[in-house]
Amino acid sequence: MSQKPKIAFFQCQWCLYSQEDQNWVDTQLPKNIHLTKSPCTGRINPLYILNAVQGGADGVMISGCMPEQCHFKTGNMAARRQLEEFNDFLDHIGYEKQRVRFVWLDLQDRGIIQKQLAQFEKDLEALGPATNLVTRVKIAEGELNA
Amino acid sequence: MPDIEAIKSEAKRLLQEGVVEVVVAFKPGDTPLHPQPAFFTSVDEVDNLVYNGLCQNNLATFLTRIPKDKKVGMLVRGCENRSVNALIVEKQKSRDDLFLVGIPCEGIIDWRKIVERVGEAVLAVSENDYEVIIETRDGQYSFYKNELFHESCLRCSHRNPISADVIIGEPVPETNQDLANTVVERFDSQAIEERYASFQKEAERCIRCYACREACPMCYCTECFVDHIEPRWTESGATPAGMQGWHIVRAFHQTGRCTDCGACERACPMDIKMTYLTEKLNYDMRKKYNFETGLDIETQPPFATVTLDDKNRFTV
Amino acid sequence: MRKETIMNLILEKQALPALFQSWREHYDVYLPQKMERFSHFMPLSDESVLVTDEPHNTRIPPKALFLPMTEALVEFTRFGSYEDAKQTIQPRIVFAIRPCDAQAVQLLDTSFIQEGYVDPFWVEKRAKTITIGLGCHEPCQTGFCTTVGYGPFNKSDLDVLLTDLGDLYLVETISEAGEKCFQGFPTASDEIYEQALMVQHDTHDQMPVAFETENLKEKLEQNFNSDYWEEISQSCLGCGVCTFLCPTCFCFDIVDEAQRKERVRNWDTCMFRTYSLEASGHNPRPSRVERTRQRLSHKYVYWLDQINQIGCTGCGRCVRYCPVGLDIRAMLRQAQTLPFEVSHAG
Repeated sequence: MSQKPKIAFFQCQWCLYSQEDQNWVDTQLPKNIHLTKSPCTGRINPLYILNAVQGGADGVMISGCMPEQCHFKTGNMAARRQLEEFNDFLDHIGYEKQRVRFVWLDLQDRGIIQKQLAQFEKDLEALGPATNLVTRVKIAEGELNA
Repeated sequence: MPDIEAIKSEAKRLLQEGVVEVVVAFKPGDTPLHPQPAFFTSVDEVDNLVYNGLCQNNLATFLTRIPKDKKVGMLVRGCENRSVNALIVEKQKSRDDLFLVGIPCEGIIDWRKIVERVGEAVLAVSENDYEVIIETRDGQYSFYKNELFHESCLRCSHRNPISADVIIGEPVPETNQDLANTVVERFDSQAIEERYASFQKEAERCIRCYACREACPMCYCTECFVDHIEPRWTESGATPAGMQGWHIVRAFHQTGRCTDCGACERACPMDIKMTYLTEKLNYDMRKKYNFETGLDIETQPPFATVTLDDKNRFTV
Repeated sequence: MRKETIMNLILEKQALPALFQSWREHYDVYLPQKMERFSHFMPLSDESVLVTDEPHNTRIPPKALFLPMTEALVEFTRFGSYEDAKQTIQPRIVFAIRPCDAQAVQLLDTSFIQEGYVDPFWVEKRAKTITIGLGCHEPCQTGFCTTVGYGPFNKSDLDVLLTDLGDLYLVETISEAGEKCFQGFPTASDEIYEQALMVQHDTHDQMPVAFETENLKEKLEQNFNSDYWEEISQSCLGCGVCTFLCPTCFCFDIVDEAQRKERVRNWDTCMFRTYSLEASGHNPRPSRVERTRQRLSHKYVYWLDQINQIGCTGCGRCVRYCPVGLDIRAMLRQAQTLPFEVSHAG
């Protein structure tokens, strides 16, 4: 009866070099995975992740390119610094570190993203649904600070 | 105890000799517990200058509110000096347009701790080297200063200004970051549910007045992320998602920029703790990048730069 | 404007817990409770720690009970249908509200209940609330209610006024609703009543005059372009503490929260830059100088123009919690030194 974990998937539009992989993501992504493409992981503002978390994402996956393969030179490295720190910060206040996962793909990689997503889903099932920080509720239904 | 006459005389000199156009310091408040930031533009005004442990604002926050090309003199304690440096790194002011009067600092007295102990009917406050003496309607009280220091000051490891043009007062013994590190580690050693409960408990009191943002020297964006409508990054009101989002993101925007001055906590009208968020980020910057904010006016903060060494962090 | 009291009764403090329980059968009971290091109006529960005897008001004003910090107005769907948000407020008794705060709620009525527009959310909450006021026998350090024409035992907008006499309160019931809350309580003796009146008068007289109000309006109005405004606003941070903690401030911003599918109103403040920022990018109040002028003028000039009352009840919160120690009393004392001309209009 348990639902599949809700995953917010942020994909850098360049990291899936193979057309097959990109097609799979574009057309066969399981329903519990919500895709957002961005021009580069460096464009991913930590607030997108926060938005996903507050809206009920059980996990967040970010896929980008390996160092020295970034279409925009260093976008992935900037992302690595910022988003990794954001992950640690969310863990500090109650959103488990394991719920945010980074996948850095090499140009040569094939078929990796599907395996990574499947593994992530399994790991999230073991962890259970996210409860902390999931705070976006209608005022009428939630509790308010008067 | 800072030599108030020496401070005044230096401030007067700066104005008289035209070294600066304005001296940013403090003047007496209209109530004894709250001295106000002051902007002295003439020698006579400086007679009104005060400087004591109750001066709780980080004066560097006013640097971005004064026209950029104006020559500014400022009293700076350890944390304020580093905030000023951080602003210079971010090109908000040129070092050449600043004259920093450094004051070694033992700590800022938390006026709330006074009110907790003696009530609000405070008539006058004075200090000596060790104690704070308080006159109230019901009599006189005295407390050791270290009972009354603000929490951030207890963990401070940069009490002496590091790059002031002149220092007034005896250097204060420096401590290291062990206590600051221990506090973060202790918080992190709690179970995740306890950490979230602490965070929720603090965030739920928030009224979105943004006093923390305005008191912070590094929050100078003309348009803050909460003012954006397209997209709306975080909920607008005092809802759980909104309040939590505000605290998370404001702290996160300080990564590599915060000097642990604690002005945010002191400004909050709801007594919300928030330094436990920025202290964690500063801890991570120390551990991961060996970086501390504001130690010089050139080094870029970790989020503004990348190196090829970062390659080693890319594991799946 | 003193309302006639209907009855004078005695309430012993030790009878309070039982009284609250009896009220709880039909009402939610809101009273000041401990929250961290301060007090806040919250519904009475089994875990409540009551704080009804501190010598000042709560941190957040009880206007929050009528105008919540965030309130849903309309709920809508993605496809364009919408409905008014349901109001779920239960009848309630607000206990130990201070006269400054109660007077402020009455002032706010003039904003939310006007000819041509009546705010249904405000009216609903007002209709379902009984206010039991607690006079301040120990005036607070920063309050100046007497200076603005009110006082620590002002009865405006109260159904009942309590006067603290040590082990007991004098209970002056002012309205029928108030009287019903205290049915069966013994009548106060003349002695007790006189004692309470003395406490009320003495406390009122003891409060120092914080500033003169005579001609204050004219001085503020006629010096619109004076350097005075720049002087008093220099260290203002432009946060919202003074306005959010103010019991007479009522400005709100209406926002569509698309992800939550609700249209809400949130407290807003004229001290924020974005408050008067127009879509074109023009801002008629571009700096703190104009915004501080607006705030002071609204309370001490424009409210007088509109309803002939000062829009400030002297609760003292802005003075106590301003992060940079600005004090409206000192600002107005300074305003009294401004030049002005007596109006010659007939």
